Amino acid sequence: MAYRGGVPVNILRNETPARLRLWSLVCAVAATVLAAGLTVSAAGVRDQVEVIGTEAAPQAATAADLYFALSDLDAQVTRILVAGDSDELAGSRADALGAYRDRGRQVDGDLRLLLNSTAEPAVVLRIMDGLAVYRQRVGQALTAPADRGHWTQATNLLHLRILPAAAELRTGSTERLNAAYRAKETYETAGLAVALLLGGALLGLLIQLQVWMARRFRRSTNPALIAATVLSAALLAVSVTVLQLQSRQLDGGRDDGLTPYLALSELRALGYDAAADTGRYLVSDRLSYYRDDFTGKAADLTAAGDGLDRLAGPEAAERWAGYQRVHLKILNLADAGRTEEAARLLTGIRRGDAAFDFAWFDASVAETAAERKTAFDRALRAADTTLTGATVLPGVLLAVVVALLPLGVRRRLAEYR
Amino acid sequence: MRLRTLAVVAVLATAGCQAPEPEPDRIACGSGPVTGQGSSAQTNAVNAWIKAYQIACPDATVEYASTGSGAGVRAFLAGTGDFAGTDTPLSPADQQKADTRCGSGPAVHLPLVTGPIALAYNIAGVDGLRLTAETIAAVLDGTITVWNDPAIVADNPGTALPATKIRVVHRSDGSGTTANVLAYLAAAAPSVWTHGTGGTWPLSGGEGQRGSHRVVAAIARTDGAIGYVESSYARVNDLPGVRVGTADGRFTDPTDHAAGLTVEAARTTGTGGDLRLTIDHAGASGGAYPIVSVTYEVVCRGPASGVARSFLAYAASEAGQQAAAGAGFAPLPAALREQVAAGVAALG
Repeated sequence: MAYRGGVPVNILRNETPARLRLWSLVCAVAATVLAAGLTVSAAGVRDQVEVIGTEAAPQAATAADLYFALSDLDAQVTRILVAGDSDELAGSRADALGAYRDRGRQVDGDLRLLLNSTAEPAVVLRIMDGLAVYRQRVGQALTAPADRGHWTQATNLLHLRILPAAAELRTGSTERLNAAYRAKETYETAGLAVALLLGGALLGLLIQLQVWMARRFRRSTNPALIAATVLSAALLAVSVTVLQLQSRQLDGGRDDGLTPYLALSELRALGYDAAADTGRYLVSDRLSYYRDDFTGKAADLTAAGDGLDRLAGPEAAERWAGYQRVHLKILNLADAGRTEEAARLLTGIRRGDAAFDFAWFDASVAETAAERKTAFDRALRAADTTLTGATVLPGVLLAVVVALLPLGVRRRLAEYR
Repeated sequence: MRLRTLAVVAVLATAGCQAPEPEPDRIACGSGPVTGQGSSAQTNAVNAWIKAYQIACPDATVEYASTGSGAGVRAFLAGTGDFAGTDTPLSPADQQKADTRCGSGPAVHLPLVTGPIALAYNIAGVDGLRLTAETIAAVLDGTITVWNDPAIVADNPGTALPATKIRVVHRSDGSGTTANVLAYLAAAAPSVWTHGTGGTWPLSGGEGQRGSHRVVAAIARTDGAIGYVESSYARVNDLPGVRVGTADGRFTDPTDHAAGLTVEAARTTGTGGDLRLTIDHAGASGGAYPIVSVTYEVVCRGPASGVARSFLAYAASEAGQQAAAGAGFAPLPAALREQVAAGVAALG
């Protein structure tokens, strides 16, 4: 009996095709599991990106917009009351009436969107109920402007019940957005683990198979198995790159786009509400509550860390300081009994008048907010593009790898027939 | 290795392939002061322009005094301001004085603010009220006194009309709005409206109110009331406007688009960049709404300052007209807007 390496040749002849078949089978199983793992994780990431792009982020933006529109709705009521029956301010009154109407529609539109989303329906309905009463009180206040009770009730209702409920929606939607990001990160981690562990294992198996075959059959190259190895390596590289790239794009979009955009929307709403306090001080016949309320809101706007300076830049902070100066002038004029002059300064649009200085400030914040929103939208589109084909590519490439395996071992197996 | 590199490059390249963001229209800024005065009807449009222009152009300051057309033109003739806003073109005598004031170049009219004038009403159970020009004239001059008059019933077949007394609300002060309504009545219903034209309401009946805001408030609180106001006033007060009968037998709502069709069909009578419009109130058809207001900025050609030209160019731009639309006015029809823009460019 002939021996090779101490093993009888006939045993070796029986063992070699079995090992070849086993090795090929293990490689094919590894490739199939890898394809399944990468496809599932890519589909999970893609689903979460879709949730972020079509549900969570729009919902957060709508909730922020609702808060902003509600704040300005009440600010417009104040403008209407400040203008009163004055001939000089008739244009301002008509403009405020139009803006009140538009903001009302904006509020209704936002509520409709939120009601059809995953936002808390009970809170949305609570806001709708509150708004029905608010509008009734505003109607009464505008019909009988001398009777300030209805106006006080309306603005109280808005600030003490409706706006806190809107803030609740805003917080809830932000939490849902963060949850979607966390779910996406889980799929990303799983995908990377699958790529590195199973992909590494597949590459190892393919290389080992080729090394063993080279030794066993004394052939240095096997084109089919080399192609399978290269394809597997390329797939791993692309998968890791895609997962990391879309993660960087979306994280960047959130950190540099969406989060500052939402924070700026909140600051804008606060700014509108604070500016309305200037008018409320006149309408309420100099109630100190509105002077203090303005001071508190101004402190929030200029807070170090998450105030205008950091979020909207020093230019916006400087413009807000300009508005604060004209606010003080108006309060001083009102305190001196020069109410008409105060109302003129409040509604005027010359540089240094309140209406212009506020618009000047708001334009700066709005521009930055729009840039942030655009940055997020762009990042979302980029991530979406990055993920194009991510759920199909692993299956296709690894099917080719599996198909190449029998091609690679077929001739060697034929030697044993 | 090569494949891997290619794959990575392909992924990175496709990830970077985003459509570029459209560039917003920039305002060509000037620096220095601009002043104007005149028509109060266009105040909200001019204010919207001033805000947007001053925000975009930190070195410019624009002021507009809403003094009324007559006072604005008189001040302009006396040398005040860079432009005057007027709801009616200058008379030949005033044109001559304006040319003298301008010195090196004539004064030209630039129609920049237009809009429908609505016949707002408040009638129990009635919406979508339709009236022909003759019926409108008879209602406004007091010949028709109740809402279920046969003439009104004939204009509104199938509509149940109440026997409520008609209460006409009109402007008690002189106004461009009144002038435009009377011009329409005289042109579209000459056989019924024999009370002339002009900026002052010619009849003694009805309820007179000073300013559109009071007219609209009076209509809103009076059952059976009808009156004329700039359409934006009716809109923000949720009052319906009469669907007005036109030459082709159609009835048209006072929408910005329908008013734009009338302005688009207007004849330009000025020469050399002077864009006076002659509105054909009687011939409006094809969905055009015949009762419109046009406010002109009267400005000197030649000595107009760079910043005044820049401000008026913004007002005549698409963005400026959108800002006016946001303030409740109808944007200029595209062809007229381009004519005005060319007129502004030819000022200096």
